[in-house]
Amino acid sequence: MKILSAISLLALSATLANAAPDRVVTVKTTVNGMVCSFCAQGILAHFKKHPAVSNVHVDLTRKLVLLEERKGGSITDEEITDSIKKSGFDPVKIERVKESFDQVKAR
Amino acid sequence: MKILSISILLAATAATAVAHPVAFEGAYQLMFGTAGSVQTFEIYRSYSPRAAVGLHAMRFDGEDDEYFAGIQHNWLLKRWNLPSAQANIYAGLGAGLAGELGYGVSPAGIGFFRADYETRRVFTAIDAKWVESFDISRGVFSATAGIAPYKAEFDQLNTWLMLQLEHVTGMENTLDIILKVRFFKGPYFLELGSTLEGKPVVNFMIHF
Repeated sequence: MKILSAISLLALSATLANAAPDRVVTVKTTVNGMVCSFCAQGILAHFKKHPAVSNVHVDLTRKLVLLEERKGGSITDEEITDSIKKSGFDPVKIERVKESFDQVKAR
Repeated sequence: MKILSISILLAATAATAVAHPVAFEGAYQLMFGTAGSVQTFEIYRSYSPRAAVGLHAMRFDGEDDEYFAGIQHNWLLKRWNLPSAQANIYAGLGAGLAGELGYGVSPAGIGFFRADYETRRVFTAIDAKWVESFDISRGVFSATAGIAPYKAEFDQLNTWLMLQLEHVTGMENTLDIILKVRFFKGPYFLELGSTLEGKPVVNFMIHF
């Protein structure tokens, strides 16, 4: 019985670990080469198409791309890297922060 | 002589028309403009972040009504994405037909090389272009510099003051000095200006 409980617990943990978070997450990506808003339109175009992304903001001064994940949605680091490279830029650092999208944007 | 005129036209037009030879993957770039009596129309599809293919057409509305239409392929050969700057090297090749309206057409080819460097306040670019047809070979060399009077954010209107020097080999008037103002916001790009001789310069571009 103990073994059965342990297996159930493990299975539940694995399911929870793979599931998309049930809260909104803000993703900050530092990007090199973003000096021109006309040239960086691809970043907006690519992330707007992603179903897990509800909001996108490009900050040229802080060299940041901010993403807001939809509740229950998730975008992987690989997808972020791929979209930024397809837009012609180089991602340097990807961070997930607890602050809201608007808080990070306004900082 | 006709081919010579058309080739010079090709060269002079190409020098100012291809401002952004390759865009982001999946993008279409539509560009058109006029410089004096020349009209251009270009549309490219960037099928990767490093390559684009499309159509290039132009018309010369002078004493003779001359035109060119062809296919062109552009490559981003190298890009340096620096923390506060970007530098690029591009090249391109194209082939098509050129002629005077009502007098048939001849094969024509075009090639270009471009290097640029920009920050949020400074823009510099050099272009070298070659036009080849059966009996002539022409080159166009241009250097462009610009400054932004203010640092615009991503969703604001960008304004640049630009100076362009352009030299066409084999021409009597070999140096054109162009003063223009560049605006862009979102996917829209517009240049308005003039040569020192008073010929208007207008270029429009959009990504979608």
